[in-house]
Amino acid sequence: MEAIKINHKIIREAIRIRKVEEKFLQLFSEGKLNGTVHTCVGQEFSAIAFAGQLKKKDFIFSNHRCHGHYIAFTGDTRGLLAELLGKGSGTCGGIGSSQHLCNNNFFSNGIQGGIVPVSAGYALGNKLKGNGAIGIVFIGDGTLGEGTLYETMNIISKWEIPLLIVCENNFYAQSTPQQVNLAGDIQDRARAFGIKTYKGDTWDPDVLMEKALEAIDYVRTETKPCFFQVDTFRLNAHSKGDDDRDPALVERYRQKDFLHLFETESPVYYQKYHDAINLEVDTMVDSILREGDMDIMDYYTPQSIESDNNWHPLEPINKRQVELINKFFKEIIELDDRSVFLGEDILSPYGGAFKVTKDLSDLRPARVFSTPISESAITGISNGLALNGFKPFAEIMFGDFITLAFDQIVNHASKFHHMFNKKVSCPVVIRTPMGARRGYGPTHSQTLDKFLVGIDNIKTVALNIFMDPAILYQAVYKEQHPVLVIENKTDYGKKILQHPAKNFIYEANNDAYPVIRIKPARSAATVTLVAYGGMAELVSACLEEIFQHTDLKPELIVPTLISHLPIDLVAASASLTGRLVTIEEGTPYAGIGSELVAAVMEIAEVPIKVKRIAAFPVPIPSVKSLENIVLPDKARIIAELKEFLN
Amino acid sequence: MAVIQEIKVPLLAVNDTSLTVVEMNFINGQKVKPGDNLLVFETSKTTYDLEATVEGFVEFLCDLGSDYEVNDIIVRIHDSPDEITATPIPSQKQHGQVQAGNGIEPTEMKAWEGETIFSAEAMRLMQSHGLAPTAFGGKDFVSKTDVEDLLGIGSKRKAKGSVGKETRGSKRMEVTVDATRVIVEKLSSNKRREIEYLSEVQSTGLTSTINTTVETAGIFTFINPSLQYLKNSLLPVIIYEASRLLEKYPLLNAYATEDGIAIYKDVQVGFAVDMEKGLKVLKVPNSTQLSITEVEQSIMNVSNRYLDETLSLEDLTDISFTITDLSAEGVSFFRPLVNMMNSAILGISAIDERFNRCTLSVTFDHRVTEGKLAAQFLRELKQRIESYQARNYPTLMQDISCSKCGNALKEDLGNIGFVKCITPQGTEGYLCQSCLKGF
Repeated sequence: MEAIKINHKIIREAIRIRKVEEKFLQLFSEGKLNGTVHTCVGQEFSAIAFAGQLKKKDFIFSNHRCHGHYIAFTGDTRGLLAELLGKGSGTCGGIGSSQHLCNNNFFSNGIQGGIVPVSAGYALGNKLKGNGAIGIVFIGDGTLGEGTLYETMNIISKWEIPLLIVCENNFYAQSTPQQVNLAGDIQDRARAFGIKTYKGDTWDPDVLMEKALEAIDYVRTETKPCFFQVDTFRLNAHSKGDDDRDPALVERYRQKDFLHLFETESPVYYQKYHDAINLEVDTMVDSILREGDMDIMDYYTPQSIESDNNWHPLEPINKRQVELINKFFKEIIELDDRSVFLGEDILSPYGGAFKVTKDLSDLRPARVFSTPISESAITGISNGLALNGFKPFAEIMFGDFITLAFDQIVNHASKFHHMFNKKVSCPVVIRTPMGARRGYGPTHSQTLDKFLVGIDNIKTVALNIFMDPAILYQAVYKEQHPVLVIENKTDYGKKILQHPAKNFIYEANNDAYPVIRIKPARSAATVTLVAYGGMAELVSACLEEIFQHTDLKPELIVPTLISHLPIDLVAASASLTGRLVTIEEGTPYAGIGSELVAAVMEIAEVPIKVKRIAAFPVPIPSVKSLENIVLPDKARIIAELKEFLN
Repeated sequence: MAVIQEIKVPLLAVNDTSLTVVEMNFINGQKVKPGDNLLVFETSKTTYDLEATVEGFVEFLCDLGSDYEVNDIIVRIHDSPDEITATPIPSQKQHGQVQAGNGIEPTEMKAWEGETIFSAEAMRLMQSHGLAPTAFGGKDFVSKTDVEDLLGIGSKRKAKGSVGKETRGSKRMEVTVDATRVIVEKLSSNKRREIEYLSEVQSTGLTSTINTTVETAGIFTFINPSLQYLKNSLLPVIIYEASRLLEKYPLLNAYATEDGIAIYKDVQVGFAVDMEKGLKVLKVPNSTQLSITEVEQSIMNVSNRYLDETLSLEDLTDISFTITDLSAEGVSFFRPLVNMMNSAILGISAIDERFNRCTLSVTFDHRVTEGKLAAQFLRELKQRIESYQARNYPTLMQDISCSKCGNALKEDLGNIGFVKCITPQGTEGYLCQSCLKGF
């Protein structure tokens, strides 16, 4: 065996990591941990080589097996212990626990593929700031199965983003040996995207440390990405007790393990370090166990909806909606250095599929990114940028494609603020056009709004054609948390409030996301209709005929913040009219209408007759005649209203 | 920011338990001072001005044209305009407010000047009832319910005030209207009230009318000297005589209640008048104490007030017996209707010039009295009136005058006397020597 060249400080650090992990396993078996742990016993030097050699201004994104990375980067052993023990003094107040840690520039999330684009976005932010900071994202060999990793590698190579991907290859993905599921070569994957690769292992820590530093410096000085394959082996189970590996194999690696060798070769030092660290950890744990959990009020307090009840009339604007949105974007891209626009085909002269981002790349080319067809990466990178202090506007070309970004919305953007105990904010804006009636067919015409409302900490805004969209975007722009903006394909080309229905008043209240009300000029309404987005215009256009055929005088309420519906206003109106009808372009099951009706019925004090009108639950046909039946149109709305009355 | 005063709908008359707001002279938030006419009520009989008695900022809790019950708070005077909503809040009950977000919002008071849109159901109903679209001028939307409201049909109609506990017996039948043949006009609130009051007694079906003729030859000879304005009218003397007679017939000076008869303690006769200011009954107060001349004066005074529209409530209320004189219209015979809170009414027909007689009719409420009593009253009245006839008294010299030139016999200087003749009208008269011989 070679003489051990690595210095003792490093070794102590590795022992610390191992002891903490072993303490966790012990605490778990004592029932003092709520949840599970994914220990990195056997992989400690990977953490130290990379996380331990970064600068303070750099950042790390890690995965479920992040404790070693955490300790090596932050040195916050106590915080980690308290976090897993669920105490309020823990890193994230006990909210995130083992897999969801956040401390300064250290982030971990239990979604191993999804963290990659987020880290790429964060790194891109550093590049835009020009602060010389870089980032590392730790993945495993199992992560090589996730598509978003490849989307991101493509982008970081093309855009030259200073991100170092460290792949801790321990030859197992949970219970599955690598040869079962991994095709091809690991490094070849990165090379295919033109990314420089390195390789090392944890059995030669000094070599690893040297190479790691080389890679880190490369990324920092070249401002280019890098991929480092670290071969290693975890000596314990994937999480706890789920180890089906051949014990003999594991034993062989245990014998090979550096710390074991050190223990064998320098038992005195080992014991000294071992005991000191154990004492330290035990003392910390004893103290922590006496602490209390976080209070629910510090974590979450219910909010009630209180809508403004002062109304001002709406005026027509002789400009198309798309022009007004574009105008707003042009203003902020000039004024605000933090604003960044991402999306497919958004560069000039094309300016986006619907021309919403026209000319932006001419104004500030450094802030406009035309992306490959990678919805997951687009959204993830936007999330990362938002975490790093930018105000990104990500465009998903068609609302139908947002399904590809769903993980980034639900498991990342939505969660960061709360799972990291409100230490960070992710003010990302994701905008996409929904809506049909252009004959684009089943996968280019959908209204998927109902899947995008009610996600924790996310606001969902729907534009409409009755007011200047800039007003809504102003409010969106100021938000500190994620916002989804649902635009409408057919509304883009329409001018604002060009065809108000005769004998109706169009007014809006003074909420930040105004509620629009369209009511008879003098008469009292006898039915309350609620519609939003593109459907609102269609309903507004047939209000007169609705009256003529059903004998009901309609009042149409058009909310814009559809994730937080103005229940109080709708309930007040429906309490007077006695009838509530919701009309949406999406399908009815668990739709926006369902939510509205349920919420109104909870607070209404008088009986109200309710009806939901929505699209038939079948993919939207391209042929116009069928499209106009599947989706609610004037004829169907009037027919269903008449039926509802009898 | 306090309410200085709450003004309630006043009880102006026993009959009027609900009043209509017909004029509103301020808008919410305006400053008012004592003496300002805030709004005008319409009662069954007249209008009433509601004046401010304190200074402050007015808030109306009522709608123009709507009815409000006595004791409803109708106006508030605030000490500052801050809390007052821009426009009045309607009187009908809301369905119930939801906590966050009051359902009440200000609505425009200005009339709608745009097109009126009708629903299909409304059009159908209008056609079957012959309603023209112009009946709905000023409305933005007209639904079936709006048409029903106008026609006075449909399930939820707001009932007008009724008197005390008395129930209205009449059921309203749905009368069909043939659009090709008729045009329907909406009933005015005055007419509605009139129908109500007359329905009070008549709806029981227990009224009966008896008639008698009164000989009127020469009757004005002795009456006219007492009269200044209403010469040749029987009304003053009838009021004079009937008032005194009613003291003897208290049951004709009363009215039916649910389980009894309310007998007025004194006689207050009113007479009906209808001269382009609407049909009203005007009181001649305390006529039992007035002479014929004073009765006439009272008639004139109150009639002038009627014409000037300066009638007070006193002129119109607490009338225990009604007289209706259609003699000026040449009516020979009619059956008057008993007014609310009366038990009888006296109708005067025109004097038949050929026979020198006129018909008097008394309709009475059979719940209170019977035919015999009414007949007795009528006979006595007839006799009293006929006692004024010239032939019952000796012809006094001072009363003889020439039918042609009007010279009185007593002023005649010729000392020859007058010739008794038959006038061209066929009545007995006198001619002086000058008119006989010519000049």
